Amino acid sequence: MFRVLIAIAAAAALVGCGTSDDRAEARGVVERFYDAVRHEDGDAACALLSDAARKAVESQSGEACAAAITRLDYAGGAIARAQVFVTSARVDLGGGESAYLDRGADGWRISAVGCKAQEGLSSEVPMDCEAEA
Amino acid sequence: MRRYVRESSLGLFFLVIFFAALVAQALVGHSDFNDQQIAHNDPTVSLGRFLTSSVFLVDVMENWQSEYLQFTLFILATIWLVQRGSTESKPLGKEGLESDEEQKVGEHAEPDSPKWAKAGGWRLAIYSHSLLVVMTIIWLGSWFAQLVTGRVVYNAEQFDHHEAAASLWQYAGTSEFWNRTLQNWQSEFLAVASMVVFSIWLRQRGSPESKPVGEPHESTGAEG
Repeated sequence: MFRVLIAIAAAAALVGCGTSDDRAEARGVVERFYDAVRHEDGDAACALLSDAARKAVESQSGEACAAAITRLDYAGGAIARAQVFVTSARVDLGGGESAYLDRGADGWRISAVGCKAQEGLSSEVPMDCEAEA
Repeated sequence: MRRYVRESSLGLFFLVIFFAALVAQALVGHSDFNDQQIAHNDPTVSLGRFLTSSVFLVDVMENWQSEYLQFTLFILATIWLVQRGSTESKPLGKEGLESDEEQKVGEHAEPDSPKWAKAGGWRLAIYSHSLLVVMTIIWLGSWFAQLVTGRVVYNAEQFDHHEAAASLWQYAGTSEFWNRTLQNWQSEFLAVASMVVFSIWLRQRGSPESKPVGEPHESTGAEG
């Protein structure tokens, strides 16, 4: 009986294990992205987007990702929090903006950035993002 | 060894098919998860990563908790509730915790009774409820594990939809958590009800879960 309980407790604990590295990596990706945007380095910023997000930026703007990505409307701010669940992450910035990331073969990549809560709507409504897959 | 296997064949059989089904669930669950990841333009994961993820664990835990709840409630209910004609019920009139003599404890214990049944005091008190206590602990433990792992899976989907994550407390109030819980509970309760009622009128020769084939419908608590 005790072995079953230990197995259950271990299973519950495993859920939290291994994600502190993921959180650090996700924060790093978002920091480098905003750094690239500040320095108007569109290539570096686009390299941190997921393929789907990159294609969405190009299709929405009608121009190359590197040209469009630095001209979007970002609030920015210092990184306040990073959360990771399975292969999805969200990084919240001090300015009230968030970025969503997915973990792929190449590590964490941004799938949506410049996301803000929609004013006047319930918190259950998805955020409105400047660029998203 | 052969004698041990023969005398433990019932337990061994169910343990073996449990492991086989768990392995099969892991393989098809991994395949299903990756299919959904691809459909959502999300990255796929390896089998090893999947097995230690909340995605797999919540599906295991939500089923374990409902099975152990089923046994917890069944053990508890059959102390005081009866069903005329059912093999799953005590004979009518025996409702309650019964006498020490009927339960072979204290001065009524036999030479080969379990040690704590002969001991008396707190040891007897604990042992007298040990089956119910263990089932309840495993039920609550696996339900808590379902809560923890279910929240992780729920929040991954929340992020996929660009929504906010839920705390453990918030997740406990979601329809997603209760949908997972209640869909399992209803089937467990139906299974017990079916067994209690079917055993009144139906028979399976040779099984102790059935009355003897020729046993009257009115006869309660008889085993085949």
